[in-house]
Amino acid sequence: MDTATAATTVALAGPGREAIEARDDPPPGGRPNHAARLLALAGCGWRDVDRLAVGLGPGGFTGLRIGIATARGLAQAHGIPVVGVSSLAALARGAEAPGRIVVGVIDARRGEVFVAAYADGRDTVLAPGVVAPEALAGHLGGVGPGALAVGDGAVRYRAQLEALGSQVPPDDAPEHRIAAVQVCRLGALGEPADLDGLLPHNLREPDAVPRDR
Amino acid sequence: MILAIETSCDDTCAAVITSAGEILANVVSSQGVHDRFGGVVPEIASRHHLELVNAVVDDALVRAGATLDDVELVAVTQGPGLVGALLVGVATAKALAAARRLPLAAVDHLHGHVAANYLAPDPMEPPFLCLIASGGHTLMTHVTEPGGFQVIGQTLDDAAGEAFDKGARLLGLGYPGGPALSRLAQDGDPAAFKFPTAERVGGLDFSFAGLKTALLYAVRDLGESETKRRAADLAASYEHAIVEALVGRVRRAL
Ligand SMILES: [Zn+2]
Repeated sequence: MDTATAATTVALAGPGREAIEARDDPPPGGRPNHAARLLALAGCGWRDVDRLAVGLGPGGFTGLRIGIATARGLAQAHGIPVVGVSSLAALARGAEAPGRIVVGVIDARRGEVFVAAYADGRDTVLAPGVVAPEALAGHLGGVGPGALAVGDGAVRYRAQLEALGSQVPPDDAPEHRIAAVQVCRLGALGEPADLDGLLPHNLREPDAVPRDR
Repeated sequence: MILAIETSCDDTCAAVITSAGEILANVVSSQGVHDRFGGVVPEIASRHHLELVNAVVDDALVRAGATLDDVELVAVTQGPGLVGALLVGVATAKALAAARRLPLAAVDHLHGHVAANYLAPDPMEPPFLCLIASGGHTLMTHVTEPGGFQVIGQTLDDAAGEAFDKGARLLGLGYPGGPALSRLAQDGDPAAFKFPTAERVGGLDFSFAGLKTALLYAVRDLGESETKRRAADLAASYEHAIVEALVGRVRRAL
């Protein structure tokens, strides 16, 4: 599952069966019932689930916490191993552009974006960072020109990305949405995490500052 | 058994009780990270709840000598409280309930305070009058049946707990200074200073703003060194005024 953006996406994947996805585009919410519906569709139950994979962001604090707390609760309920996955990597992997560099761009609000670049859907070319859209050209450097840029941030800041030579699919293209099927695929490759260490990728610190006493 | 989760402020809590109201485990994990910010920071509280919540649930089950197999109902505080903090507990409880096919009870935080009176070994039976004076709330309730309560008086400004913390800050005791103020008060004379108890506020409502202002003036008039010398008396008199205000309203309500 992934809740890093305004969408909620849940998928069920396994060997010898076609992956199935349930999603809500806005508003987001922790919705174990999506998962239950997928399990019912597949004719299995929680005890058949070998592994949970959850998007850790970066993304919206609130959405991520709901998704991660939900994944942790589900994992705790049945002792299921859980793997944390980069939401940016899942986004880029969904673009399915072999041989190309894909830049994942998630709207970070407050005039910033979360951005990372991947080659062949899994090798990290540029690690996740948070930048202002005007700083994308400098941040991406040689990675940007010719790359495919996807995500709600790519839609919002299309002008800046096209100006630096990246290609952005049409606004309504499915490539801009994170699909939990990709979270499943990346989760299958990763190492299960310690439950208590499964936390969002916070690239920004809280606004509060310690006061002098 | 009932498993309950509460994350409405800065404590991450889980409890296990029997349906008869016997407490098998009651785990409260205080985050202890907010002091240096001079108050609870919602964003930080929420982060810590997420870190702690599953371990706290595990701990409660272990202390109760139980597993999730023994749990028949999951209960969770749904509010009022800090939204970012609440949602961690709610998402966790929903996930546990959904995965275990257990019923989920969404609980009002204040009703939780009232319902504490139904726990063993000395459960109360309605009707009764219930004064809720916690860190963030001060209200008088009339309870006629276990499923609810009626608010018959509430604070017009600060909660009693906030009055403690604000008074402590005026006395230079840091944050959250309520407990430190109470400790200091033990060595002081509660009659040394005459602080207001909002007698003039009619009905069953509370007000602590005037009390806070009175302490501010007293500290200003005494000056720094005299305030330090008489800190215990100030704390005792201030605490006395808060308690008097609460007791006075209870008398009126009765
Ligand atoms: Zn409370």
